[in-house]
Parts: sequence; structure tokens; C-alpha cells
Amino acid sequence: MPRLLLAWAAFAVIMLLLPQVVSPGTLRIIIFANFLAIFAMSWDFISGKTGYISFGHPFLIGIGAYTSAILSYRFGVPVSLSIPLAVLATMIGGTLFFLPALRIKGTYFALVTLAFMELMYQLVQVIRPDLTGGTRGISGIKTILSGAVPNFYLSFGLMFAIALALWLLSRTRIGTALDAISMNEEAVSGSGLNTTRLKLFAFMVSALVAGLGGAFYAHYLGSIAPRALFDINFVFTIIVSALIGGSSTVIGPIIGAYFMTFLLEYLRPVLPGSERYLVYGLIALVLYVYQPKGIMELLRKLGVRAGGGRTGRAGNV
Amino acid sequence: MLQVLIQGFLLSGLYALIAVGFTLIFSVGRVLNLAYGAYLMIGGYAYFYMVQTLGMPKLPGFLFAIGMGALAGVLMYRILVKRLKGDQVAVEISTLILAVVIQAGIVLVFNDSSKILHPIVDGVWRIGSTTITNNILVAMVASWFILGGLLLFVKKTHVGRAMQAVSMDAKGARISGINTDRVNMMTWAISGALGAVAGVFFASYTQLNPSMWVAPLIIAVAVVIVGGIGSIVGTLIVAHIIGFMEIITTTFIAAELRGVFTMLLIIGVLVIRPQGLFGRGDL
Repeated sequence: MPRLLLAWAAFAVIMLLLPQVVSPGTLRIIIFANFLAIFAMSWDFISGKTGYISFGHPFLIGIGAYTSAILSYRFGVPVSLSIPLAVLATMIGGTLFFLPALRIKGTYFALVTLAFMELMYQLVQVIRPDLTGGTRGISGIKTILSGAVPNFYLSFGLMFAIALALWLLSRTRIGTALDAISMNEEAVSGSGLNTTRLKLFAFMVSALVAGLGGAFYAHYLGSIAPRALFDINFVFTIIVSALIGGSSTVIGPIIGAYFMTFLLEYLRPVLPGSERYLVYGLIALVLYVYQPKGIMELLRKLGVRAGGGRTGRAGNV
Repeated sequence: MLQVLIQGFLLSGLYALIAVGFTLIFSVGRVLNLAYGAYLMIGGYAYFYMVQTLGMPKLPGFLFAIGMGALAGVLMYRILVKRLKGDQVAVEISTLILAVVIQAGIVLVFNDSSKILHPIVDGVWRIGSTTITNNILVAMVASWFILGGLLLFVKKTHVGRAMQAVSMDAKGARISGINTDRVNMMTWAISGALGAVAGVFFASYTQLNPSMWVAPLIIAVAVVIVGGIGSIVGTLIVAHIIGFMEIITTTFIAAELRGVFTMLLIIGVLVIRPQGLFGRGDL
């Protein structure tokens, strides 16, 4: 435990010193990676931990982003109030998301979540376009801070706080119980635990994180549009980040988000055209098929080989 | 009223054609092929390339599209799905990634502007005050023939029966001497070919663009969920429910709401009756 805490602290210090060495352009990339990491952690808390795969996570992120954007842009609500309200709205949306999980699992659950996302995509454009901005979305949303450096600190602080909270949570008995649900739900309920309440808890935590991320993201970008938000390519990026990094860990989705974001950026000079996305997707596919447990597992294996290493829960950082 | 009826049947026919290949894989392989929409895209673009870029006649273009679809299906099975050994979640996620990869590949070859496909069959037909293009009429008739043919194939031929057996119990089928691997591969090839055919008609109904795979995938998912697995007749019925629902919504309520009721239907059916309206009931 102390060693791990030290690692977290070291990570924070390195990141906080980063603006001194890298250019604002790179910082903007890292800001995006931070947000992606938040979304991936949120996805992973439902799907990685409990095994209920969500293909519609933008549904939750979108509720957070739209609620805060509408409140602050249309009604002039200050950001300090609109973001908590957005998180609350997302958690209510999360309850809706949770209802199907009471009856169905696996493939069917994944499909319902996909339907949720599509439903949201269409509703946002039709219901009250005077509020949501219809197909074009909303632009000119109040930004919290301006400039790359302050936004970097904000996004990193948010990401780090969420990561630390989720990590501490995963070390409690509840975290262990949630992990167990993905392995054998019947056994967990057989040990006298209320799986419904555990699952609801996981969904609420995930929705909270998604809502926070979504709301801050909207206020960072300054604009939101339904096509960019409720998009299957967005789902792809979130899921792949979590999986490539290492599912059902906390640090995994962060690594994955940074990896995927920088992969796309580093391919830019080599492959300037549209073939970049082809290579990017192929790398993701090969990595996933070759090691579904992600980079964390690769690192752990490497560590075991190099030093005999610590075993046990080393993978669960 | 007549117009609603005609348009409903036309759209439903197209939807049935889109969904049937997806149903087949879902029933036999028990996996969700999220790259199914990519077959439609491959079919549409292959036809476009042969007929409108190379200027070949329509029939070889059509056959080429079917061939490419079947090839895509076989490759997907051999390279990806077989390796993942029926791990459903892994197959879903890797086919989703694959769909995005294929989309990027299409952008690379054909760039990302939309393309208009000339109608496969020219001309229009007037019934009373409504005109319908022969193109979509042919799509509807073709879809009925294909569904009928598929039903006969699955019920009457040896290979079709083997497919049914694998879909019910793969282990049992293997014990009875069925080469499940080959049956699976053929199913993937047929599914790919059906997807490609649907893609050519779908593209001529709307247009070709690199993100055209999402809408048909959603339709296929809707039809399969509501219809339930393992039922070709169920596919046909539900395609009509969804097709008519969309046309009625478009005509009487608002065109923008057409997809909303489909999504509500999916969510409702999955929550209330997860095995679908006509399914076999095993989850």
C-alpha cells in the first residue's frame, strides 16, 4: 500500500511539472487524453468490473454534457451550480440505464445500451431543439478556464481525483464484491450479498464519473453536437482505451487513453492522410486480439519475467 | 392510406433483406457480428466500383459485390472469430473495432465524400396517385425471394439442417458427425453475401458513404432482438412491424421521430420479453 501510494504521488508530480517542458500543442493532446481517461474509467467501472458491457456510454456522457451546457448557456446558471446538477441528471439517467440490467445480461444488455444511445441521439435533435440546438448542437458554451496550461491542470486534477477515488474504492470490500460479480454473479448472491444493490452502486459511480467528465468536457470545448457525441466511433475510442490499457484496473484505462491518443498523434507525421485511422484501428485490433487483458497484463508479465516479481494482486493497481 | 401501405411494404422488404444475414449469424454462431454493417458497405462500394468506375454491366457488378461480401465473411470468421473461440464479449468488441477499421479502409480507397448509386433497375411505376421506383420494388421482391430461398435452404438441404443443428447445440452436432467449423464458415460466407446484396439495394435507396454501416446495423439489431433468435419468419414479421411503424410515424407524426419508436421498441421488448417475440427462449 505505501509503495503504491508513492507511485501515485510520483505520477502526480511528473504530470504537474509537465507544462514546464512540453509545448501547448502537446498539452492540448494530453487534455484530450485526460478526458478520454475519465470516460474510459467510467466505462470500466460498469463493464470492466461487473461485466455488463455498455455500448452506449455516450448516453451518460451526453446527459452530463447537455445538461450543464443547456443550464449555463440557455438559463445563465453559473458553472459551479450547473455541473453538480448535470451530475445529478446523469445519475438519474444512470438509473434508467440500470433497469435493463435487472433482467438481461451479456450481449442483450450491450444492445440495449446501444439502443439507449441511438434513442438519445434522435431525441436530442427532435425534442425541444430550442434548448438542445437540434442537429447543430450548442456552441459558445461558457468555458471555465482559457489557455492550454490552466486547462491542463484542471483536466489532470479532475482525472487524478477520480482515479484516486476509484482506486481507493476498489480496495474496499465493495470493490472486491463488484469484481466478483463479473466472474460469477450467482456465487456472489449465494454468499449473501445483494447483487442488485451492488450493481446499482456500480452504475451510480459510473454515471457520476461520466456526468462529471461530460460536463467538464462541454465547458472545455465550448461546443457540443449530437453527431460527435452520440457516435459509435466515440464508443469505439472509449472501449478500446479501457481494454487496451487493462480492464477492471484503475490505472489501465488511463494508460489506454494516453496510448490511444498519442498513437493517433504520433502516426500523424508518418501517415498524414486518412490511412492513419486504418493503421490506428488495426493496431487496436491486433493488440486486443493478442492480449485482451491489455497493456497492464503485458507489463505485469514483463515484470514477473524480469524480477521474479510480486504476484498476487499486483495486476489490480 | 394506399401510399402508407405501399411504402410500408417497400421499406419493410428492404429491412428484412438487411436483417436476415445478421439473424443467421446470431442464430448459428451465437455471436453478435457488429461488423455486419460493414458487409453492406463492402457490397455497395464493390458494386459502385465495378459498375460506375469501371463501367461494367450490372450483373457482373452484382456478382462481384456478392463475392466480396462472402469473402469478407469468411475472412472475418477465419482470422478473428474462430480465434476468439466463442467468447461473446471478445467477438462483439473485436467486430466493432473491425467495423471502424473497414470504415477507415473505405475512406482510404474511395475518400469520405458521399456517392450516389444509379438505380439498379430504372423506371417508375404508378399505382393511383403514388409513384414507386422500380428499383425499390425489385429490392422488395428480391428480399422475398431471398428469404424464401433461405428458408427452403435451411429446412430442406443437408447443409441447412446442419446449420440448424449447430445453432441448437454445437456439441451435439459435433457428436453427430457434423463438421461444425465448416458449417460455421459457410454461415459466415452466406451472411456476408446476404449483407452485400442488401448493401447494394440499401445504397441505391439512400447513398454510399463511409459511415453508412451504422444505420443498417441498428435496424438489423432491432429486427433480431424483437424477433428473437433462430427465426427467419420472425425476421420477416418484425421487419414489417418496424418498417410500417417508421412509415406511419413519418406520415402522421413527424419524420424526425421515425427512429425513436424503433429504439423504444427494442428497449421495451428486451426488458419485458428478452427472448424476443418469436425466439426460442434460451438466453
